[in-house]
Amino acid sequence: MLQESAPLPEALANLLGLDPNSTLVMILMSLIGAAFIGSLMMTNTALAGPWAKRKITAAFTDRIAVNRIGPFGLLIIVADAVRLLSKELIVPEGVDRPAWDLAPLVIASTALLGFAVIPMGNGIQLADPEVGLAYVFATASMASVGLVMAGYASNNKYSFLGGLRAVAQNLAYEIPLILTGASVVIFAGSLQMSEIVAAQSQTLVGPIPSWYAFVNPFAFVLFMIANLAEVGRNPFDIPEAPTEIVAGYQTEYSSVYFVLVYLGEFIHIFLGGAIIATIFLGGPAGPVLPGIVWFMIKIWGVFLFTQWARSAVPRVRIDQLIEIGWKGMLVLSLANLMLTAVIVGVIA
Amino acid sequence: MSNPWIAIGALAVVGLAIPVSMMVVSSILRPSVPEQGKRATYESGEVPTGSSRQIRFNIQYYMVALLFVIFDIETVLIFPWTVIYRDAVTEVDMTTVLVPMVVFIGVLVVGLAWAWRNGAVRWVRSPRATKGADTYE
Repeated sequence: MLQESAPLPEALANLLGLDPNSTLVMILMSLIGAAFIGSLMMTNTALAGPWAKRKITAAFTDRIAVNRIGPFGLLIIVADAVRLLSKELIVPEGVDRPAWDLAPLVIASTALLGFAVIPMGNGIQLADPEVGLAYVFATASMASVGLVMAGYASNNKYSFLGGLRAVAQNLAYEIPLILTGASVVIFAGSLQMSEIVAAQSQTLVGPIPSWYAFVNPFAFVLFMIANLAEVGRNPFDIPEAPTEIVAGYQTEYSSVYFVLVYLGEFIHIFLGGAIIATIFLGGPAGPVLPGIVWFMIKIWGVFLFTQWARSAVPRVRIDQLIEIGWKGMLVLSLANLMLTAVIVGVIA
Repeated sequence: MSNPWIAIGALAVVGLAIPVSMMVVSSILRPSVPEQGKRATYESGEVPTGSSRQIRFNIQYYMVALLFVIFDIETVLIFPWTVIYRDAVTEVDMTTVLVPMVVFIGVLVVGLAWAWRNGAVRWVRSPRATKGADTYE
């Protein structure tokens, strides 16, 4: 039922009794739908960045963290937003001006783009193009451009090294990520997100659904590791590595620019979670609860995993990072792709 | 079925509008007290020396980026194959579909092995930077 429903703009047009064939109506409905998706992800990020992240890290390190403002310290979200937005914006000497201003914008806005094709359940999916998965990977890797801009334009040696490290890391783990995603496409036979979700709706053995995490657990593990590197969380957080290069590419950013860089990073973690949920965990599928709730549970599960890794796993060195990526992950993901092809070929 | 790129374009507009509106709100709220000292870039409390664009960095970053270009194009070529693979196996037979891709990936693996042997993915450390720290490895 879920897969057959129209994308969000069309559903909205039908709901309001407007003609879905008119382009103007579709543009309007798309804007409304996009605003909804945007605010949904902003809400998640606002909850995760100033509050959940602190609470989770505190729980890992046996502390209490924010608990003064509001119930469970939840109003810290409002307090932090006001505090950070009203800070003075310090423009360091010798920054490369247009690039330095554009970088936070690029990092924050490209991260949101990927959510356009993610099916969130209950018909919440903005668009469903045939190139779905390729589009998501394309938008997810656009943030690297912003990171390089931030690192180069800041006129700070730590930022510069952080930008270089960020791009080397993203390059090294991009290919294992995409190749592992391609092994899922071999099973599903389509790049369209709704079809990938639909292909996971049968049951595998007994009560276990045929989610690709269960069908091909090896690919799932590879993807989770590569995703940790893509979002820059431990053990792959060397672009920021506070004990080595202060804060990496975001060292010189203050005020609203810092918020945007930080925001982009968190939306990125959720985008990674959304991709994992869609291609490995059956998208919004799940018993009893509505699809959107299951989808949120899954992406918060992935978020929790990244925070767990952040608290529990030591950081690798840059040379280890490159060797793990190019010698380990790449070879394993190529092997996974070929093995998947052989297995699917034998079964089909 | 309407054009999905209208909706994606709409999300691009929203994705741009959210950060821009935050920048506008912030520019209204924030103070501006320009002062020479605080504009210095952060260099662990020292007076910054030189520009960041003149520093030398490890050549390995370039090698890795070069390698990436090759493998990224390879993924572009693999994607269409993965989409048709399942149908093609049922329509033709498995060897006709699989063998060309195995050969293609084999060529890439040979290339990777060559780069590996020549040290393209081994991190080069300058002797000066690692002096006294040769206990590891």
